[in-house]
Amino acid sequence: MHLDLSQLTQLTPIFRELFKGYHISQRDAELYSQLSNLQDAYRALFRAMGFELVCDSRGFYYFVPEQMGAQVNKTAQRLALFTFILVEHLADQGRDPLAVLDGGTLGRDELPALLDKYRDLFVQAEVQTQEDLEEKVMRRLTQLGFAQEDNGIYRFLPPMHRFLDVCLAVQQDRDLAAVLHSDLPLPAPTLSEEPEEEPIISLTDDSADNEEAALARAIAEERIAEEQEAQA
Amino acid sequence: MIDPKRVLRALAEHWTLLEPLCERFDAGTLGLAELRGQLASQLPDGTPTDITALLDQWIRLDILVPVAKSPNRFELNAQIHDFLAYLRREHRLGLCLEIEAYLRHLERLAGYIREAFDARDGHDLARQLRLLDMRVRDVLKKLANDEQALIGVAERAKTSDRQIPLRQRYAEVLATWDEYVEPMIQLVAADGAFEQGVYRVEQVLLRLLGEQQRLGQLVDDDLLLRTHARILEMQTTAQLTLRRARELLLPLREEARRHNAVTRGAALALAAIRKKGLDAVPQAALPLFTRPQSNFLGTASQVESYVYALARFEPKPAQFPRASKARSGEAPRPPRTAREMIERCEQALPLPDLMLWLLEQEPRGATDELLYWFSRLSRDNRFQRDRLERRDYQTAEHELSLCSYALLSSKAQQADSTSASHAS
Repeated sequence: MHLDLSQLTQLTPIFRELFKGYHISQRDAELYSQLSNLQDAYRALFRAMGFELVCDSRGFYYFVPEQMGAQVNKTAQRLALFTFILVEHLADQGRDPLAVLDGGTLGRDELPALLDKYRDLFVQAEVQTQEDLEEKVMRRLTQLGFAQEDNGIYRFLPPMHRFLDVCLAVQQDRDLAAVLHSDLPLPAPTLSEEPEEEPIISLTDDSADNEEAALARAIAEERIAEEQEAQA
Repeated sequence: MIDPKRVLRALAEHWTLLEPLCERFDAGTLGLAELRGQLASQLPDGTPTDITALLDQWIRLDILVPVAKSPNRFELNAQIHDFLAYLRREHRLGLCLEIEAYLRHLERLAGYIREAFDARDGHDLARQLRLLDMRVRDVLKKLANDEQALIGVAERAKTSDRQIPLRQRYAEVLATWDEYVEPMIQLVAADGAFEQGVYRVEQVLLRLLGEQQRLGQLVDDDLLLRTHARILEMQTTAQLTLRRARELLLPLREEARRHNAVTRGAALALAAIRKKGLDAVPQAALPLFTRPQSNFLGTASQVESYVYALARFEPKPAQFPRASKARSGEAPRPPRTAREMIERCEQALPLPDLMLWLLEQEPRGATDELLYWFSRLSRDNRFQRDRLERRDYQTAEHELSLCSYALLSSKAQQADSTSASHAS
């Protein structure tokens, strides 16, 4: 494929943003329109450089990190958790979660109630205070191009679909659902049957034999005791 | 027998009163008091006697009929209601079963037509053909009405308040899909009742045409051809209506389904996290994205603490000085804070060379400390920076080669540019 670098006028800012983990969507009008117009050229160029550019048809672009050593980091877990919480919170309030997370808005003033209600879950993601929530979640969302903040209002952008896809993937994960919905104990492993052994103490002796043996033992013990006394 | 002209005249004369009432009657029946109240609000000059006279007239003309077993409640006569709905372009979605019933009737009519032809009864044959034609027109009318009703369903779902939960908003769409579209798909499928019914009727008509040519005409060929053409039109219209219904409702139904799946997925994930912690969410499902890369310089101590946090690195035990022991040598200087350095830098503005200034400030500073401050200060948005030529700098420990910056106050720069723009 022939690449005309002079056409890729936004190459530097596009690469800089994508390399930082940022998701380019229509909000970044100039970068987005160039990526859409020259999608194949950018893709080929980045592939040659070792980066996989993903062009999501829902209107955003991002780099997939190399699978080697790519781990789900704390940020991804934290942002996914926030998405789950927000979806449930909005649904509980009778609001439409998709309308909010797909281009809708959330006021900063709604965050304290959210934190209060889901404190036990947020703590797991090391989010304990309102500042933590703003710093570790909301700022990260804006830094990565998932949301934009304007005067205390967060507007969610198309890349949020990546987290909504997680919800769908979880919903389709039958194993997870099965684990959650089953109250049965874990199945116990079945061991191969061991060969029968001689009992160490037999409790099935005849009672008559028992008495005789006990008597004989008592006599023998008495005799030994007498002999010992005589020797002494 | 009520004179139709009188009914039509009353409808035309009282249209302004009847039209708003139609909406109320769409939702159910009305009590006499409600009806009087509604009319009184529309006729501010009307006396109660006028309203009673008006209601009497409507009841006499069978426009209004009492609800069975509730003489004080009224509804619009069903025929009038349908006629007014047609005039108001209000379409109520019918049932798929109605179409199926029409089709069964068409098949029966085709049977009567065959019998009439076999009996060589021309008069009955023409009558049955007319009935068939009228029934096909009924189906066409119904399909057209249903299509309009489906458009209405989709529009209501799309335009209703976005704050209403999707499940509620799309309830009508989901019900329409289940009760109308899904059975229609089965009905109009290649092996469905519709296609097979149409095929049977068509075969009868085609056989009739052939037989007429062989045995002589009982009815005009044109009548047969017209009826055949209308049946084909009905078949095409049914397919088009179904396609339109799918185009309109499928995306909305998918949206509603996706919404349900997302909400359920989120609830499942939260339940899993509550039970088993954050790692319970399948890792494969989580989006991978590049961690925002930091290109900010850190000092050795910052890196060390970072490594410690990462690898549980055991630090050397700190030796605290004893209170009794006299301090030998120079007292250790507390580390400079970022605020302190920024303030000092601000006071020293404009700086022709940041690195030189840092070397003057900290002549015995460690190289990594100096580079840290260089990076920190040159990036601070309080300063406007201009890159300088590369040159060598000598720290206490190393010789550095870098392109330093000249720093200006960004406020001063803004003020300059503003005054320049005013001047121009």
